[in-house]
Amino acid sequence: MKILIIGYGSPIRGDDALGPLVADRLENTGVPAGVEVMSRHILTAELVADIAEQDRVIFLDAAVDAEPGEVRCQRLAPDAHALSTMAHFLDPRELLAWCETLYGRVPESFLVSAGGDSFDYSNYCLTPIGEMAMEKMLDWVDRLMCGETSKLALS
Amino acid sequence: MSRTIAIEPVTRIEGHARITLQLGDDGAVEDARFHLTQFRGFEKFCEGRPYREMPALTARTCGICPVSHLLASNKACDHLLSVRIPPTGEHLRRIMNLAQLTQSHALSFFHLSSPDLLLGWDADPATRNIFGVMRQDPALARDGIRLRQIGQSIIETLGGKKIHPTWVVPGGVNEPLTLEKRDAMLKLLPEGLEIAKRTYDFFKTLVPKFKDEATHFGSLPTMFLSLVTPQGNFEHYDGLLRIKDAKGRIVEDMVPPEDYERVIGEAVEDFSYMKFPYYKPQGYPKGIYRVGPLARLNNAQACGTPYADVALAEFHMLQEESGPIASSFHYHYARLVEIIHALEMMERLLKDPTILDHRVRARARSNRDEGIGVSEAPRGTLIHHYRIDDDGLITWVNLIIATGHNNLAMNQSIRQVADAYVDGNNLQEGMLNRVEAVIRCFDPCLSCASHAFGQMPLRIELKDAAGRVVDTLSRS
Repeated sequence: MKILIIGYGSPIRGDDALGPLVADRLENTGVPAGVEVMSRHILTAELVADIAEQDRVIFLDAAVDAEPGEVRCQRLAPDAHALSTMAHFLDPRELLAWCETLYGRVPESFLVSAGGDSFDYSNYCLTPIGEMAMEKMLDWVDRLMCGETSKLALS
Repeated sequence: MSRTIAIEPVTRIEGHARITLQLGDDGAVEDARFHLTQFRGFEKFCEGRPYREMPALTARTCGICPVSHLLASNKACDHLLSVRIPPTGEHLRRIMNLAQLTQSHALSFFHLSSPDLLLGWDADPATRNIFGVMRQDPALARDGIRLRQIGQSIIETLGGKKIHPTWVVPGGVNEPLTLEKRDAMLKLLPEGLEIAKRTYDFFKTLVPKFKDEATHFGSLPTMFLSLVTPQGNFEHYDGLLRIKDAKGRIVEDMVPPEDYERVIGEAVEDFSYMKFPYYKPQGYPKGIYRVGPLARLNNAQACGTPYADVALAEFHMLQEESGPIASSFHYHYARLVEIIHALEMMERLLKDPTILDHRVRARARSNRDEGIGVSEAPRGTLIHHYRIDDDGLITWVNLIIATGHNNLAMNQSIRQVADAYVDGNNLQEGMLNRVEAVIRCFDPCLSCASHAFGQMPLRIELKDAAGRVVDTLSRS
């Protein structure tokens, strides 16, 4: 099984670095064969080609609509209406819709996100609440890599 | 009764901006302005930092084009060190810049502008987007994704997969290229070139349909500024400044980048946070000029690679009149020519055996108080200028961003499009989309001067002189 993990967010805006930092931790500690890990500032168009080749994709992001430290795991479906006005950065559901339209397939996809406590300037540095959320996000990633996905609802 | 139309935000560009159109009693456009509405102040908060931090700091100006800032900043630092970097280090930097140009131009053409070019300016806004393009021409959309993936992959192969790579350093690059990485990059290029040629040939068939747009989309008698080689050919990384006037006469040539202040002045206006650079000898605002792909091709005698030189010759035939290509609409065409050149040139550089040389960095401490670095970003000439104290701390910074050079021209282009298409008595969405589209020709990167955060719906309001809304259009 091919699994792609994409952590995204700004590394210089506090807990917005959660996605890239979780991805970096996974990269440093090692992942099973068949799993690829990426860090990205934002989700951009060329990722569609990588995503289309996967069996499962796990997006990692910080959330502004969750309580600080609250970790969620949601199943994602393609959504062509999740359009960005600027098109330089994309919603993961929009990327999946691109996959569906252009390549005729969509991998099983999940978003693991955590509510950030602060989005002030910093440099690859989380708040204490962000640090705790990071561990929970890593737990979710482990479970998703192992295939514990059947009970997750669509976002 | 005078009225104002505001287009906010302008969509399918990088960053947030607003356009206002002031209408007269008869519904005709009296004034048009492009507003950059957010402020960042990089030049100020870099003061006091060690100069060696500048590449990393300024690369964070933008999440879209960090490579461009990384290169211009490191060139300014090279100047502070007073070193000439090893040829292989320079060639590796060039490859990274060409890869950045490829992926950036691919995004502009395939994803930001193709909805207008393929579906039409008057198409239903609900379908005039990237999904509309995918439905109409999925192969073209896949080509765009692949081309961008190739450019991004080369940047990552060179710089590593970190969000902000530290591979380019003052004095060169910090690691030589391995054979494996060289071969991995070379393997990508033939496919990229095929895509670029295919797209170029396709776009050539579309261009005759856009005669009206070519006439009214920023067809201006401006000067053009870019770097050129000492032979007057296309240059994107180093070289000397050239300025041509609207008739094609060279008014400044072989200007060392360190002398940029002699030819470029910067004005400010109270309606925008973006500065207004101008050609100093002609004063402001008469000294209007354009930069970017259109300017680079107008100024270059040759590209220096086979297929791009054929395309350059065809580019010069886009208008009947002699002289530089005047229409900003042809930025699209110029981008495709530059993508072809970038792919051809990357292959040439990578096939040169010296690209694997281990000497890639010159080491020194600061040997000057002032450093200036100039390179060509995808959107145009990028200038970084630093002054430091005896401890190597920054005391003063000036950044002239590629998009800023085009500020005067973007404002005049909006006015020209609005004059041609906007009827204030019968507001149609397609009219206003053309006003936005002329800005997209320049592919402005406003994050280089402001933070983009969140999204807003597009709302266009027509107000009377008393501020009453008399008509609206909205886009969610």
